[in-house]
Order: sequence, then structure tokens, then C-alpha cells
Amino acid sequence: MGSVKFQARLLALALLLLGVGSILYQVFVQNVPLSQDEKDPVWVIDAQVGFSARPNKPVKVRMFVPPLSSGFTTLNESFISNNYGVNVNEEKGNRQVTWSSRRADGRQFLYYRLMLTHRYAKNPDVEPGPQFRQAPNVEGPERLAAEALLEPIRQHSADVETFISETIKRVNELENDNAQLLLGSDVSARNRARVVDLLLGLSHIPVEPVHTLRLAESQEQEPELWLRSYNGREWLYYNPVNGQQGLPEDRLVWWRGWEPLMKVDGGKSADMVFSVHRNEMSALQLAQTLRLKDASSFIDFSLYELPLPAQQLYRTLIMIPIGVILVLLMRSLVGMETLGTFTPVLIALAFRETQVIYGVMLFVFITALGLSLRSYLEHLKLQLLPRLSVVLTFVVMVMALMSLLGYKLGIGSGLSVGLFPMVVLTMVIERTSIVWEERGGSQSLKVGLGTLFVAVLSHLLMVWQPLTYFVFTFPGILLCVAAFMVMMGHYRGYRLTELVRFRAMVDGDKH
Amino acid sequence: MFWSKTRKALRARGVMGINQRNGDYILRYNKRSLYPLVDDKLKTKKMAIDAGIRVPELYGAIATEQGISTLRKVVDTHRDFVIKPAQGAGGDGIMVIADRFEHYFRSASGRIITQDELEHHISGILSGIYSLGGHRDEALIEYRVRSTELFNRISYEGVPDIRIIVLKGYPVAAMLRLPTRQSQGKANLHQGAIGVGLDLSSGVTLGGTWHNQRIERHPDTANAVAGLTVPDWEDCLALAARCYDLTGLGYLGVDLVMDRDHGPMMLELNARPGLNIQIAMDDGLLRRCAIVEKRLDALKGKDMPAAERVAFSKQQFAVAGAVPLAAEEQQ
Repeated sequence: MGSVKFQARLLALALLLLGVGSILYQVFVQNVPLSQDEKDPVWVIDAQVGFSARPNKPVKVRMFVPPLSSGFTTLNESFISNNYGVNVNEEKGNRQVTWSSRRADGRQFLYYRLMLTHRYAKNPDVEPGPQFRQAPNVEGPERLAAEALLEPIRQHSADVETFISETIKRVNELENDNAQLLLGSDVSARNRARVVDLLLGLSHIPVEPVHTLRLAESQEQEPELWLRSYNGREWLYYNPVNGQQGLPEDRLVWWRGWEPLMKVDGGKSADMVFSVHRNEMSALQLAQTLRLKDASSFIDFSLYELPLPAQQLYRTLIMIPIGVILVLLMRSLVGMETLGTFTPVLIALAFRETQVIYGVMLFVFITALGLSLRSYLEHLKLQLLPRLSVVLTFVVMVMALMSLLGYKLGIGSGLSVGLFPMVVLTMVIERTSIVWEERGGSQSLKVGLGTLFVAVLSHLLMVWQPLTYFVFTFPGILLCVAAFMVMMGHYRGYRLTELVRFRAMVDGDKH
Repeated sequence: MFWSKTRKALRARGVMGINQRNGDYILRYNKRSLYPLVDDKLKTKKMAIDAGIRVPELYGAIATEQGISTLRKVVDTHRDFVIKPAQGAGGDGIMVIADRFEHYFRSASGRIITQDELEHHISGILSGIYSLGGHRDEALIEYRVRSTELFNRISYEGVPDIRIIVLKGYPVAAMLRLPTRQSQGKANLHQGAIGVGLDLSSGVTLGGTWHNQRIERHPDTANAVAGLTVPDWEDCLALAARCYDLTGLGYLGVDLVMDRDHGPMMLELNARPGLNIQIAMDDGLLRRCAIVEKRLDALKGKDMPAAERVAFSKQQFAVAGAVPLAAEEQQ
């Protein structure tokens, strides 16, 4: 017996681990949303390119767009233009779109739209960069100023990382004569970055500019320039203006390198406006969108892959174990008596078609009618089988009559007595009658009420939206349920009702 | 908290709950394949007769509608008899014919019953009205047990019976079940009969239980239930102990009746005996079963003869407070 108990515990543990493991995998690896209402921000970035075309000249517009491995999930990307050929190519980790047209006239607008989200994103692989470079050739006063700046930087830094931040700090000390000389009158972020690059170049430290966009609701945004350097393991990001280190989460790297964002051939007075909007989309919808795009998502190998009618069916079926476990608890822990073992679950399923309140009324009414007919037939001394047959025939007739009445009075729910509730109802009447025959009226009333109570409870549980979503999305929970059921198989404690039943034995101790 | 306090108190007294009974006793000791032996009273009876265990004499059994016509022939030689379903539960469907009146029969409660009514009743039994799950059934016609004078003071109509719980052949608990007006002559506790605990060593009645409460007196006759001695107690215990050898069911409820002329007889067996006996005995079944199980472990599977098992139980489960009344008071 002991070894059997151990085995059962082992089995329960295995089931539990398997179930919890699969749920954890889905949540943490596949990023499956825990609840249906879980919303994710979706960033919609619009880039508008405007320029005046030179008449009778071919137009070619080249613009950088974010690389595919940006650390975000791309939901949608579109290039909107009239009469332009679109071509996207990739080089040196950048992606560039080229719009081209034989001729264009007047003010032209080209649009680029990108929809991004954090969820389901894979971290991009770190591509190694150089760790050494040739010093650039600088002569004259610039050389002297640079040397003068580098001297204290060398003293105040310990390694490459601190060297870079120290350099940024020095360059941004605008009152410093040497810094002034190098910067000239241009104190733009771009120029400061250039000077930082120069100083670091003299120390053989390679840096690379990256241009980033902030994912925050904004109408007009300029890409922000950052510098990054590879330390052998990872890229270190620096803000060349304030020396801030580490790229914030909400930054999207648009392109890198010294090249400008956009080049227009055959056009003039070009400008470019970025606007960022925040949308919300339920995580589930997101996954489905990705699925449509053939991107891998958690939908693979999940119940969501089934055709829709089958999904509907399984949404119901998969909740049955939840109802069953409730019956188990009610019977084994509480000690409530129910008709048959799982009749409450069947009734709960029938309630799906009739709605609870109407369903309860229907069940009580028809069962009461059926039972009173039964007791009259008993008075006539009919045998069991003919008696039950008459009762069932009668029940069907009453239901047909109610449907007819409901239709005539325009009450829709009267019609909703489907085949399934009808079958369950007749079965309930048969079972109640048998209990009545075997154990008397009061007992059958008690059992009937218990059944109805458990049925209503399990119905409410089985249609509770967050729960159905959870069970349908994480079927691993059923393994946990099974584990619990296995454990209940060895539950030997008292039922709640027994505590009342045997109370006389405890009270006896007192007197 | 009330729940945990009660729970602890019940545990301390060794009270057995339904989950425990089902899991640790019925499931463990009673092989499912053996159930038909006890669910069908005809089978039980035949087996008992073969083993020489005393049972109420079987006058005849009717299995088909055609067979109903043989009823007259079967009962012709008997003034009184009992008709019962072979697979009935809870004492339903039992008709007791105590006497005859011209061409009619008279039931135990004095009602006049026609031949037609009797045949209709049997037909009902055959169609399975009284059997568990509504299966077709057989009707048994058998000897009507006559209650001993002793129990008349504390029972109302019907015949009291004795329920003995037997674990692996060791009697562990016993009670006397007395019909009341409410139970309509039936000896089933959930139908309103009262249960009176018995001291296993002496067969003396202890306190009683009625609807899960402790009582001292019979609700209909108002006589005290304690202090009576069941006659032929040794026989009763031996009979119960042998029922284990007969069926192989390790956790068994044996129902005995005390006949005025023939002494104790085995009436039926129950593979899922109820737990109310604990209230009647005012003692936990778990506590008693643990004592027997310890002994079984010590014996390492060695079989003991019934007499020795009974002796062990008598010695272990004697109740100190059981004092029989003087013989004249018992009358």
C-alpha cells in the first residue's frame, strides 16, 4: 500500500511538473499572454519624405530604414508612393530603401510606415566589431588641441569604457579652449560626435555612430545620434552630448554610420518628418497577425491552429475537466451528494445552451412535473420500465409545448431547448426517479438540489472567460488538474458533512 | 476554528470517514469481482447453505413473469413468508406476509393483500423497480423470521437485526438495529431505524443512535435500550467471522437476525457497510481496525481459525461500561 501511495505521489508530481513546465515555457519562452485582455503597445512609426522634383529629371531617393534584427517584432512595413519603383537592399548592417522614378513634377511625398512591438521579439545576435583602428592623420593646431585634451583623459581613465565617457565629458566642456578649437562654432550633436570620434581615433579606439528613434508618442522627431564601441563582448552605447551610457529600452536603431539618413537625386529642398504613435493590440491578436505573416509564434502546435469550428468545440470540451474537478471537490471534500457522478457537469454543459437562470427554472419545473407524474403512475401500479417511458414521453411533450408557447409569445429562450439539454433533462428525471424509488422523496430532493447547485457552480466556472482562455491557451493546466485528481484519489480525510454527522461522538466527550 | 477542532477530535477518537472507508478498506480489502456474491441475495444464500451457515429457509425463487403462476404452489404449505428482491437495497420491496385470511393474505402490519396484489408486487420486483440501477431481478420467497420476545420492548413492528462489521474475519464492531414507526418496520438507519451499539465481548447493548444523534430510549416504546443481552452471542460472532471465509471480502458488514426458534441466522452481507455504527458504539472504527491490522501484520498472512479470531476480538474490544441488567428486568 505504501509503495502504491508513493507511486501515485510520483505520478502526481510528474504530471504537475510537466503541466507547470509547459505553462512556464509558454509564458516565459513563447511569451504567451496570461490573460486575454493583456495588451501590448504597438508602435506605428511614420516617416514622411518631402522634396521638390526637378522637372524632366529622373528622381532617386535613398533612405535608411531600420534593420530587420532590431530587437523588435515587425508587424507591418509599408512603402507608400505614387509612380515610384521601390527597392530595398541591405549593406553593412543597414537597410536602405530606394524610390526611383523616371520623372516627377512638383512637390513629392513618399511615406514609409513601420509597426513594431516588443512582444515575441528575439534578441538580435551581437555581431562583433573592430577593437582597433589606425589613428587618423591630424596636423597643426588641431593636433595640439587634441593632444592637450587627451592628456588628462588618459590620466582619469582606467579602461576603454571610462576612456570613452571621459572623452565625451571633456569634449562637452564647451568653455575649454581646446574643445572650442576642435568644435569650431558648430556645437551640434553630430559635430560633437565627430570630435569625440577624432579623439578616440587618435587613441586607436574605434567608435561607430548609430542613429536612433525614440518610441514615444511624438509628432516630429529627429533621430538622435549615439556612439557605440565594441569591447570584445558587447556594444557599449554612449550619448555624445551628455555622456549617458547604455541605450534606453525605448530606442530603435534606425541606421548607423556617418552617412546622412536620406539622399535625394533629382530633387531639392528635401525634408523628412518622423512621427510615432502608440497603438494597443491584444497579445492574442498580435500572435494571430504574426501567424498570418507566417512568422513563428506560439500559435504553432497550440489549439489555436485548429479550424475555427473545432476551436469552438474544444473551448467547451477542454473545460469539462474543470467541471469534473469541482464535482470531485464537492463530493470528496464537502460531501455533497449528487445524482450520478458527473451528471452535474452534463447539466452545466446543457446550461450553455439554455442560460443559467432559464436553465435552472426549466430543470426544476420539468423535473418536478416529471416526478409528480411518476408518483401518480406509481399509484397506478405500473412497472418501472413502462413508467419511466411514460415520464420521458411526457417530458418531451412538455418541452415541445414550451417551445411552441415561447415562440407564440415571442420569448426566444423557449426555443433554445436544444437536443442536448433535452437528453440531459430526461436523464436527470430518470435518475431522480430511481433515487426516489430507492431512497425516498426527501433524499431525492436533497440529491436533486445538490446536483443543481454543483451544476450551476460548475457552469459558472466553465464559462468564466479568463479561465476558459487560460485553459484553452495553456492546456498544460489539465496535467496539473490531473495531478490534483490523482492526489485526491488518496485523500482519506473527513468530508465536511461528516464533521457534522459525527459531531455526537465529539460532544460525548464533554459529558 | 470549529472545523479543525472537530476534525482533530474525530481523528483522536479514530473515527472513520467515507473517503477513508472507500480508499483504505473497501478498495483495499474487497475485490470488485466478489461483489456479485453479496449483491445478489440468492447467491449469498446458496453459498451460505453450502457452507453450513444458518439462513432463513428459501421456499422458492421466481425469475420470470411465467414463474409468477408458481407462487401459489410455493406458498401453499406456508402460512407466513417473506417476498424480497434478490438485489434490493435498503430493505425496499420486502413484503412480509404474516398470516392468511380466507383467500387473502395478511401483511405484518395487518393489511389485507389479494393474490393479484402479491403477483403484481413480484412482477415489479422482476422488472427491477427495487434493484440498484433498475436491472431485471429475481424474487425470493423465504421463511419469515419471528422476533424474539427479548427485543419486543425496544422495537416497533419489523424484526431487529444485528450488524457486525468484520475485518479480515475479525469482528470489529457490532450494533443492533431496531425498526421504528418512522422506518416502517425496516431496520435501515437512514430510513429512521435506531442503531444500538453492542459490546463485542458480551453482546450487551450500549447506547443508541437515531438520525446521527445519541439516544437512550426507543422513540416509540420509550424503553431504555441499554443493558440487554443478545442471546447466543457467541454463535452470532462465529457466524459473522465465518462469512469472511465464505466470501473472501475483507471488509464486510454481516446482517444477522435472531429467530425465536432457530437462533441467529445470516440475512445478508454488505460489501459497503455504513459508518453510523460508530455513533451507536460511540467508538471509532479506524481505531478498532488498526488493532486488527496490527495483529494481521504480526501474523504475517498466517490464517487463523474463526474461533481464535473471535476470541481475539472479544478480548480486544470489550467495553468496560457494558453491564447487563438482571434477567427479570430484561423481560
